[in-house]
Amino acid sequence: MRRPLLWSLCCFVLSACNGSQDEVVVYVSHDQVFSEPILRDFEQETGIRVRAVYDTEEAKGTGVMNRLLAERNNPQADVYWANEPIRAEVLKQEGVSASYRSPNAEGIPDRFRDAEGHWTGFAARARVLIVNSGIESPPPSIFSYTDPEWRGRGVIANPLFGTTTTQMAALASLWGADSLMAFLDGISANGTALSTGNGESADLVAQGASMFSLVDIDDAVSRLRRGDPVRMVYPDQGPDGLGTLLLPNAALLIRDGPNQRNGERLIDYLLSSATEQKLAASDAAQIPLHEGVDVPTGVQPIDRTVVMPVDYSEVARVLQEIQPALQQWVEKQQR
Amino acid sequence: MLYGKRQTVTHAERWTLVLAVVVVAIAGLLPVLVVIAESVTVEGYMSFESYNALLSSPRQWRWLGNTVLLGVLVASVSMAVGLPLGLLLAKTDLPFRSALAVLFTVPLLLPPYILALAWFHVLGRGGLLTQWFSPALGELTHEVLFGLPGSVLVLSSSLMPVVLLMTIAFTRTVHPLLEEAALMTAPWRSVLTGITLPLIRPGVLLGGLLVFLLATGEFAVPMFLRFDVYAVESFTQFAAFYQPGAATAFAVPLAFVAFVALTLERVHLRDRTYEVRFASPRSGLLTVPLGPLRPLVMGAVLLAWLLIIGLPLGSLVAASAVGGNYSEALGRSWDALLRSVAYATTGATLLTVLGFFIGYIVQRRSLPGWRSVDSLTILLFALPSTVIGVGLVTLWNRPLLGAIYGTPLLVLIGYVAQYIALTSRISVAGLSSVPRSMEEAAQLSGASWFRRVGLIVAPLTGRALGAGWLIGYLFCLRDTGLSMMIYPAGGDPLPVRTFTMMANGAPALVAALCVIMVAAALVPLLIVGLIFAGASRENAQAA
Repeated sequence: MRRPLLWSLCCFVLSACNGSQDEVVVYVSHDQVFSEPILRDFEQETGIRVRAVYDTEEAKGTGVMNRLLAERNNPQADVYWANEPIRAEVLKQEGVSASYRSPNAEGIPDRFRDAEGHWTGFAARARVLIVNSGIESPPPSIFSYTDPEWRGRGVIANPLFGTTTTQMAALASLWGADSLMAFLDGISANGTALSTGNGESADLVAQGASMFSLVDIDDAVSRLRRGDPVRMVYPDQGPDGLGTLLLPNAALLIRDGPNQRNGERLIDYLLSSATEQKLAASDAAQIPLHEGVDVPTGVQPIDRTVVMPVDYSEVARVLQEIQPALQQWVEKQQR
Repeated sequence: MLYGKRQTVTHAERWTLVLAVVVVAIAGLLPVLVVIAESVTVEGYMSFESYNALLSSPRQWRWLGNTVLLGVLVASVSMAVGLPLGLLLAKTDLPFRSALAVLFTVPLLLPPYILALAWFHVLGRGGLLTQWFSPALGELTHEVLFGLPGSVLVLSSSLMPVVLLMTIAFTRTVHPLLEEAALMTAPWRSVLTGITLPLIRPGVLLGGLLVFLLATGEFAVPMFLRFDVYAVESFTQFAAFYQPGAATAFAVPLAFVAFVALTLERVHLRDRTYEVRFASPRSGLLTVPLGPLRPLVMGAVLLAWLLIIGLPLGSLVAASAVGGNYSEALGRSWDALLRSVAYATTGATLLTVLGFFIGYIVQRRSLPGWRSVDSLTILLFALPSTVIGVGLVTLWNRPLLGAIYGTPLLVLIGYVAQYIALTSRISVAGLSSVPRSMEEAAQLSGASWFRRVGLIVAPLTGRALGAGWLIGYLFCLRDTGLSMMIYPAGGDPLPVRTFTMMANGAPALVAALCVIMVAAALVPLLIVGLIFAGASRENAQAA
């Protein structure tokens, strides 16, 4: 019995050993498959050890945010790498974040930064329509969901989770909650299917089970790159169009985190043009916010895109307001 | 008569056993009490808002119905397959029975969501059936997979080995003299139905109960396959809405279901599962000769393995066999793999030691309230990992407790809370084969309790403790739900790494990670198998 016990203790001590104190703790909502290589590069370039907690697909980008909220009285993290600015804004409103203006934020448009410096956006995702190639004239707008011409041919991800929630909150911030719910009722009345997430929506379109869906740009680009019969449409791009919603990643410094200085260095690294270049070149196909960084093939640069004019702090506020109504709407669909 | 008179309890015994109970209470009971308190508190005041929200939800009855239905169906299918298979492997002259038992146990070694993914590679759109037959068939099987039928299929193939192992273990407790006597007047079929099956019934039902509890508490598979059950709702309330109170409220019906199941066990089995006396190997277990049916039965068993286990796992291996994936998967996960082994090794050792003492309390009835201790461990086993996870975070995340929170110690505490029932029940089975008279004789000779336990009881229960360690290791290694909520930053174990990689990770990479997970689980099993085989050979030579 003694040998296994000793072996166990040795293994455990080795695994528990933190090594160097020169470290930074980061909670990440961006997909691990894309974010981990960036953090590894940071480790190699700075010698600062990165200890990360990643979100799971099931938590839909909210798992680590909730962990940050739970730990707010005794913060364990230094940095939060959010996959969109709304959760970062919620954390700011909950008093979890600290202000930090990185020198590398220069050149990032103001609309993608918190005015008080609590979060800074980088490497954005666009919300686009993925359309099956079998369609000759693709739907041009998110209003196609309520257009009788497209009856029963669309699919949309569950609006209780992920960027679809953010999309709904953005629309509510522009139109008001009642108009949003009327729009959702119209979507439902037009025979739109409900999927569990953007990835599944994109697959349904690629397989021809549905003809179009509103998804994140990386969902569409990944299907295009693997040769699926789909195309990508930026919705509502007319002169008076609503525009496409852009969701940058956001870096946020945690108030009273254990390694503040290293946290600031990591944020500097994330906001650099080099990081944007890597995220643009990866399958995430994210749109750089710094000028002069190459845009991924097949992706429209920001200056040629009609962008939905939203205030992210307002979207964050509205998001919390509309959640009960969204939940009721989803329950109605599933009945 | 299951138990003798309770022997005199010394101070050393009492305090050691009380300490074991206190450790389990701190690890499991305290966090659960904390979340229950949180669930009835809103901004510092008592409120039943979370429970009102649950009761007023029109979907609650559907969740309850779905949860119970899933548990009952998975337990029924597992028993329908595991019982005959167990009898075949334990009671007949089928060749390669030990190897077959190991092969059928493989799914139990894996986190159930890996099996869900594997079945998706077979039955999903674009899966093997689509490639082999037609897209229309793939479309049909895809529709069947997502929902109740798929959840039952995946969880049954994952948990059936529990019933299989219980059947094999309890079949070895049937004394051959009983069967020999019956065989003098009746054929094997009657002996099996009249003697063997009634004697192993408590073990099979206990296996079914464990499967029921594991299936109703499982959230990853129903979530993946889109089947609404309480465990999924509880996880969603915490992860998507950060409402720990609601998460706990949603777990209460699960605890109630577990309580009903436990009560049925108490009433129906009346403690018979505490008493497992293995028939002496020297007396030789009787086997049913299959005669000319032997090749046919062997073929049927192999076909069953191929359909239930070989096909989904083979599809994973096929999906992962794209150039370079294993090197990339290992490059991305070797640290998580080492950590998993370290966590599981340490967790299993802790569980074995604590489980031994808890099992001692239950089997020897050494402390008053021994039944409550046993019920507590089973209840913790049945609770969704979300509830225990939320409780551990709430309880331990304090500046003064920094040496525990944010370190692997919290993961170990979680393992103790969730899995102590397994090692304590196995210890009970092992202890029941050690006559109390041996301890009493040593006590009369002046041996202290520690010497009696260390030099007599522990060595005589060595096999059970070894089996308990192995079971503990496997459950710690496959744990996902609990580890995901409490792992320290930079300290994720392999199942969690695989789970997070599933978000936009290349399917081939994810499949390769799953295959590495299978290997990590199989290696210790093979090592233990070789050790046991070596020991058996030595015993045979000595005899």
